[in-house]
Amino acid sequence: MAYMEEDAIPDFCSKPALILGCGNVFFGDDGFGCAVAEYLETRFQVPGSVCLLDAGTSVRKLLFTLCLSPVRPRRLLIMDAADFAREPGEWFEIDPAEIPAVKLDDFSMHQMPTSNLLRELQRETGVEVRVLACQTAPLPTEIRPGLSAAVERAVPEAAAWVAREYFQTVQEASHA
Amino acid sequence: MGNTIVIQPVTRIEGHAKITIQLDDAGNVNRARVNVIELRGFERFCMGRPVEDMPRITPRICGVCPWSHHLAAAKACDAVFGVQPPPAGAKLRELCNSLAFMEEHILHFYFLAGADFLLGPDADYSVRNVIGILGAAPEVARRVVRVRHMCAKMLEIIAGKAIHPQAAVPGGFSKPLAKEERDHLRKMADEALELAKFSIKFAKESIFPKYLDVVKSLGVITSGFIGTVKENGALNLYDGKLRLMASDGSYDDFPYDRYTDYIAEHIEPWSYLKFPYAKKRGGFALEDDAPGLYRANTLARINVCDFIDTPLAQAELEEFRRNFGRPAQLTLLYHWARLIELLYNAENAIRLLDDPDITSTETRVKVTPRAARGVGCTEAPRGTLIHDYETDAEGMLTNVNLIVGTTHNNAPINLSVTQAAKSLIHDGKYDQGILNTVEMTIRAYDPCFSCATHRLDGKLSVKLDIFDACGSLIETLAN
Repeated sequence: MAYMEEDAIPDFCSKPALILGCGNVFFGDDGFGCAVAEYLETRFQVPGSVCLLDAGTSVRKLLFTLCLSPVRPRRLLIMDAADFAREPGEWFEIDPAEIPAVKLDDFSMHQMPTSNLLRELQRETGVEVRVLACQTAPLPTEIRPGLSAAVERAVPEAAAWVAREYFQTVQEASHA
Repeated sequence: MGNTIVIQPVTRIEGHAKITIQLDDAGNVNRARVNVIELRGFERFCMGRPVEDMPRITPRICGVCPWSHHLAAAKACDAVFGVQPPPAGAKLRELCNSLAFMEEHILHFYFLAGADFLLGPDADYSVRNVIGILGAAPEVARRVVRVRHMCAKMLEIIAGKAIHPQAAVPGGFSKPLAKEERDHLRKMADEALELAKFSIKFAKESIFPKYLDVVKSLGVITSGFIGTVKENGALNLYDGKLRLMASDGSYDDFPYDRYTDYIAEHIEPWSYLKFPYAKKRGGFALEDDAPGLYRANTLARINVCDFIDTPLAQAELEEFRRNFGRPAQLTLLYHWARLIELLYNAENAIRLLDDPDITSTETRVKVTPRAARGVGCTEAPRGTLIHDYETDAEGMLTNVNLIVGTTHNNAPINLSVTQAAKSLIHDGKYDQGILNTVEMTIRAYDPCFSCATHRLDGKLSVKLDIFDACGSLIETLAN
């Protein structure tokens, strides 16, 4: 192939670990994943081996590209809001296989049926896929940004867990 | 009372929708409806905010077309502030628009609609996924993937980030393009053009002939069209005037800030989404070939333009018109038109990168708040996108109205689904293949139905009304 292969590969495919904060910051607790990504970015030293992105509502684009890429990270962490009928603000790890199969075999990547892509990644490519979820309070039906108090409290706790699992340096930056 | 078939969700479109097909007592289709949800409360959320926030906020409302919203918002800000970006600022924006189009069109043709064509509508549902397509056409898929990667990478180089773009600002573009970056991008653009050329050749030789009967019969309706053209009538996807064409080929041209003189919005009680219509041509009617009915997106743009000012895409346009006339009405031709646009954007990206203006360091002009109204309009991959803002003397927003690409196609999608359902479901008999073929009709429009929440469990905020043959509401379902 013509020319510098590595130049055509985006960072989110080529780094060993990829951490994606997902959600819509305009809809209350749906912005949990983005808030954790921001917290990690501003309070921790992100190692060069990790690509940390606030993927927002664009997660499907990234996962889709990842699914088809010849080069992929070894580890993928998705941080997102969820409703598993727990207490709002409770955060926990789930297996992609546990995500309700609302849209099992579709390609729609606009919402979290990204779960299909996660399953495909895990099953077909050998990427280690983990999902950090946080139970939301009821989401607003119209645009209303801002996390509930319970989910707000979960953000630093979840960020610390991510740092322990994925960052070699877990010290919070002193200037933060 | 007739039966109701509900297909939910529609797979492989951007977002979610629910199709309700109502059968009569004989088991034939009485009516079909595509029910969608819509982003609500955005305009109210924006009130009182500084207008210059809009290019940063709007990419967040839609993860599917962030660049389109970003650029339409920046253009609306230009109009509010009464400025024109310098040539380099405008050309960098247009370059990003072309690259974002290529990324989306490649995605749609090969992977969203690809399963229909590469695997066939009757393929086992369990293999209709990304890996399924890779397995069906591995060589093609590898090549496609590489160029999609490059489009993302090119946007990253130009704008600093591939997602949530912030590079377009009121008055221009925040980041000049260095000559070394331009040289780097130019090589990538050459490869993207090769893929675009391959794609349309591949489709014409291996895909479209096989499905020509389906193209000629599925979801066919007659309508007008809307799109953006330059002053000389050439296709343009970033800037120009709007052209609203009737089904007989006659048209009105108008500046996009006068869209309210030509377009009105109708509301139906069964849909959250509005129904725009050409108000100068007549009132709204959800009927085939209704005077006010028009379509947006690829086929519309290919129909309304007089010509394309890049040579390879122009040659394809001429062949397309020899085969299907102007305006072409067959719904599945959206796919063909999408590939002509892919070629145009690849050529346009090279043209812009070769333009000496593109590396000028003068990419923006200063802006000053004022009380004004400003309209920004671009073509998004899914149709004409209009942002309309008003501000007070401090530049704070006092009014916001958005018309997004998919909204223009709301009525046509409903009519095409009705036509498709009527032609495929008889005497109450249907199977998975038939239902997926109905969905194919919707996918041709490449709609983006939802900019709402993104919870991990994929739950939908959907309300479904079921009507009997007399039009009476018999049940409401919601989650």
